[in-house]
Amino acid sequence: MTDVIATIAFWVFAISAVVGALGVVAARRVFHNALFLVVALGSTAAIYVLLSADFLAAVQILVYVGAIVILMLFAIMLTPQAVELPSFAPGGQQFAGSLVALALFGLMVGAIVTGPWALAARPLDQPTSYDLGRGLLTTFVFPFELASLVLLVGMIGAILLARED
Amino acid sequence: MPGLNQFLILGAVLFCVGIYGALTKRNVIVLLMCLELMLNGINVTLVGFNRFLAPPVGVSSSPFAGQMFALFIIAVAAAEAALGLAIVIAVYRVRHTVQVDEIDLLRG
Repeated sequence: MTDVIATIAFWVFAISAVVGALGVVAARRVFHNALFLVVALGSTAAIYVLLSADFLAAVQILVYVGAIVILMLFAIMLTPQAVELPSFAPGGQQFAGSLVALALFGLMVGAIVTGPWALAARPLDQPTSYDLGRGLLTTFVFPFELASLVLLVGMIGAILLARED
Repeated sequence: MPGLNQFLILGAVLFCVGIYGALTKRNVIVLLMCLELMLNGINVTLVGFNRFLAPPVGVSSSPFAGQMFALFIIAVAAAEAALGLAIVIAVYRVRHTVQVDEIDLLRG
């Protein structure tokens, strides 16, 4: 029973994630692009839940949907466009872009399908917060400190760059 | 229950849609959104690997190394978005545009 529910949930959220991603690329107005990005990122959070990554799903909602998309909406608000230009590149570039994307996708699918994955005996389904917290302060303490430094520098840099004078 | 391949292909689809957008869109803010999409696809792949290829307890010091990578990617993505949008606003103040093909001061 739970298998059926998990399968249905996977397909629902996978399709809505892909639709959201396509909307980010295809929608014509920047504001609609941002709303489609919310759909894509929110569905990815649900996919994380299906992968039993509960902490990461919460982080995804808080950081991506809560912070990054809001930041983008502010940027859209602060850069009003007098004329709505066609937001896509000329046809040749579109063709080349789709060629690159499709070729890369084919390569990836080929590698995924033929890859000799050493699957674990059974999927890892256990609460993650305890181990993630322990890991952040033991094994990964150096990258953790580095990430805080990166965020601090990013914050100061953003303030300096966007300052009014 | 969907297996590893489905999650990997979902990650690949998100990544490739992001690449297509990053190569063809002209609005810098939408370019940044496409970058976030690509990072998102990578995160799905990493978390999928973490769940299905987890080493037995005792081999690795942390069973959630893959999720840890995803966490760091999210942290870097946040810094990247903040800096990128600050640059967009700074450029807009000078050039009054956010279309990449009009920001061509360095074109030879």
